[in-house]
Amino acid sequence: MAPALLSRPRKIVQLVTALVGSLFGLAVIASPALALSLNPEAGSPGIEKINTFHWIMFILIVIAIAVVNLAILRAARPRHRYVAVDEGRKATGHQLRIGLGLGVLALAIFTTATVFSSQAREIPAGSSQVAGLNADDQLEITVTGQQWLWRYDYPNGAFSYHRLVVPSDTTVALDLVSADVIHGWNVPALTGKAQAVPGRTNRIYFRADEEGVHSGRASILSGQGTAWMESQVDVVSPDVYEEFTKQLKADIQDAQDAVIEENQSAEGAP
Amino acid sequence: MSSYPNTMPPTRPEVADHTVADKRPRWVQLATSADHKVISMIMMTVAFGSLFLAAVELVLIRLQLAVPENVFLTAITYDRLLSVYGATAIFLFALPLCFALLYYVVPLQIGTRSTALPRLGQTGLWLFLLGGFVLYASFLFTPPEAGINPLPPLSEITFTSNNGIDAWIVSTGMVTLGLLMIAIDLLVTVRHLRAPGMAWRRAPFFVWTAAIVSWLFVVIAPVFLAAVTMLFIDRQAGGGFFGGGVGGAPLLWQHLSYIFLTGAYMTIAITFLGAISEIVQNFTNRELPGRRVIVGSLAAIAVIGTLAWAQNMITAPIPVGFKYFAMLLSISLIVPFGLIFWNLISAVSSADFNMRAPLRYAMGALSLASIGLIVEVSQSTIAIGSQLQQTYDAWAATHFTLIGFAVFGGFAAISYWYPKITGRELNEDRARISFLVMFAGTIIALVPLFAAGVEGQVTDSYRFFSSDGVSAFNLIASIGTLVLFLGLIMAIGNLIVSRNEGAMATPDPWHGDSLEWLALSPPPAHNFDVLPDVRSTRPMRDIRESLSQDPPAIEEESPAGETQPVA
Repeated sequence: MAPALLSRPRKIVQLVTALVGSLFGLAVIASPALALSLNPEAGSPGIEKINTFHWIMFILIVIAIAVVNLAILRAARPRHRYVAVDEGRKATGHQLRIGLGLGVLALAIFTTATVFSSQAREIPAGSSQVAGLNADDQLEITVTGQQWLWRYDYPNGAFSYHRLVVPSDTTVALDLVSADVIHGWNVPALTGKAQAVPGRTNRIYFRADEEGVHSGRASILSGQGTAWMESQVDVVSPDVYEEFTKQLKADIQDAQDAVIEENQSAEGAP
Repeated sequence: MSSYPNTMPPTRPEVADHTVADKRPRWVQLATSADHKVISMIMMTVAFGSLFLAAVELVLIRLQLAVPENVFLTAITYDRLLSVYGATAIFLFALPLCFALLYYVVPLQIGTRSTALPRLGQTGLWLFLLGGFVLYASFLFTPPEAGINPLPPLSEITFTSNNGIDAWIVSTGMVTLGLLMIAIDLLVTVRHLRAPGMAWRRAPFFVWTAAIVSWLFVVIAPVFLAAVTMLFIDRQAGGGFFGGGVGGAPLLWQHLSYIFLTGAYMTIAITFLGAISEIVQNFTNRELPGRRVIVGSLAAIAVIGTLAWAQNMITAPIPVGFKYFAMLLSISLIVPFGLIFWNLISAVSSADFNMRAPLRYAMGALSLASIGLIVEVSQSTIAIGSQLQQTYDAWAATHFTLIGFAVFGGFAAISYWYPKITGRELNEDRARISFLVMFAGTIIALVPLFAAGVEGQVTDSYRFFSSDGVSAFNLIASIGTLVLFLGLIMAIGNLIVSRNEGAMATPDPWHGDSLEWLALSPPPAHNFDVLPDVRSTRPMRDIRESLSQDPPAIEEESPAGETQPVA
């Protein structure tokens, strides 16, 4: 009776091991698809690079996790077996080899990461159609974080809140500044994350390839309203962009004129 | 001091009397004792109490995030819970548990009767207790609300005018100062009070760990103390260190706080890797072949890991060379971590052992921590970090590592030394069930959050929307957190119940290698009646062998777990 009683938990353990192993196998197979489906759709060349690199790292991570954890599972499975006394001593010679192997792996990852990181940070070349902007110039927009809004100042003096409008196929330089606390600028599809720190200018570049709407949520706690602090980037054609900023500037001018007129009439001008 | 008798067993009996009863009430004894065992017992108790509190806060946070557009908590309540959760988990649970374990075990392992500076350690304990009290006393007025790491200028008085941040500053500052005192005591103790013959090359893993961790803490703690002092001056004395608008440098706080927090992360990793090495060596019943490699790797993690603090600042406007430097260092951490993991796993897989609670928790710790560490490699790269920092992907990776090391490693260490500390044996069945529940809970609670993070969900936001496409991930994670919470309660309950119900433990229940198993269980106030001479890395084994009349032989090694009382 005793062997039968002992073997039942062992069978369960084997079953669990097989189950976990096959789950890991499934995860390895499914991971590229998962990575592709989860990554934000790339709206700029920099993000495209990041997504490619993330895809590579994702597979590497899943394989590494599977290998390490299957090794742990195999090591920890209950068993009794004969162990040669000096079997452990043999392992000493492997230390250097394992260390070198890990070093080479680290170097390879670092090299790949450096290549992709610097490519992602490259200032993308634009073929701008925006008037008054040379082809290799950047459209400079100042983005000011304040509790709990983003303000955008366009080159022509117009400004808007919440919604940023940028032309497609143009290199845009965002100068992130802050009016109060540190804010986390975050538009996953176009720029990734960057901090707007008071007293500093954090300049990031991007080029939106296609027209469309991208949005993101502020990523750093800036007070109670962080959850409402959204940024929306509308990518439009250069013509629409020019039209929009011109109209915006005119609207702001009209509003200011109206205020002056109102005040003057209130003071009883002749 | 030149001639010790080189006979074995110990030949210098000294006068000791266990029978003198202390007439003072128990609480007076506890409050006034400078005994390292009493100090660490109080600290461990508070640490596990804090683990429970942190778990409750985490459950509340996850309940809020279980469904989209939830109105269970308001924004301000969520921010406060998040802030207190971070401070509790790091400053009141993980770091104190590290130092309490080291402070209990290491003086026993090096065969000393007391630490070198016992009153310093006692002051450290009281600072720690007061720090914890201040943090939770803030619930009487307003708890801190500026996040796990309260970045100025948000934490400046201009933007957070209530006193929650001051409570956070005073609390974390006192805890850090208290732990620094204990670290200094440990450092002096392992430097000067090792038993005769215990050269560094013969010192157990945990003694090496104590030396490495204490040095690391002596370096990083003053940085953090300086930072919180500066923030306090900013808030209360009109200073301008971090205020953005008045010529201060908000980024300076990020540097200073991340030097400490990254160092604290490494402190936790090193301590529990040291404890797991001890456990693996004990259960595999022979000296770990890669002993020197493991110790060297632990030291390398302390230096390289802490220098890589800028990996947390990938999104900050700092010189880009700095970011590449941090990326190089954090990727090169693959080598020391990989070597340790390889040594431990291969040692276990080529040995015959009885699976008991300490080894089971230890293997669970290695498994969970490996997931977190591997994912951290990709997040420390500039490309992926700029996309995934401050999202639930980073949260899940950090939690995998810290729950792996601090919770599972903590239960591994506590169940390994439980018979020594309490004089009772830990209930094995309850330990196994709680391990399974906690392990399953951690996996279910954290794996979906990787997906939610890649989808773009940020951690500092108190709610998400059904249009974000992360609802299912969050619901699964919340259910997993409840399972984890259940497992934690079972594990902590087992620690409490076994103190009264467990079988009486012998001094050497695991057939250990190091000198803490020579002392009685629990050890008397003076630890040892006689101080042994150390002639190898496994002094306790030498003593066992010389006590048994037969010459040392390989057949003597019986499987771990069988009790063989000594003396």
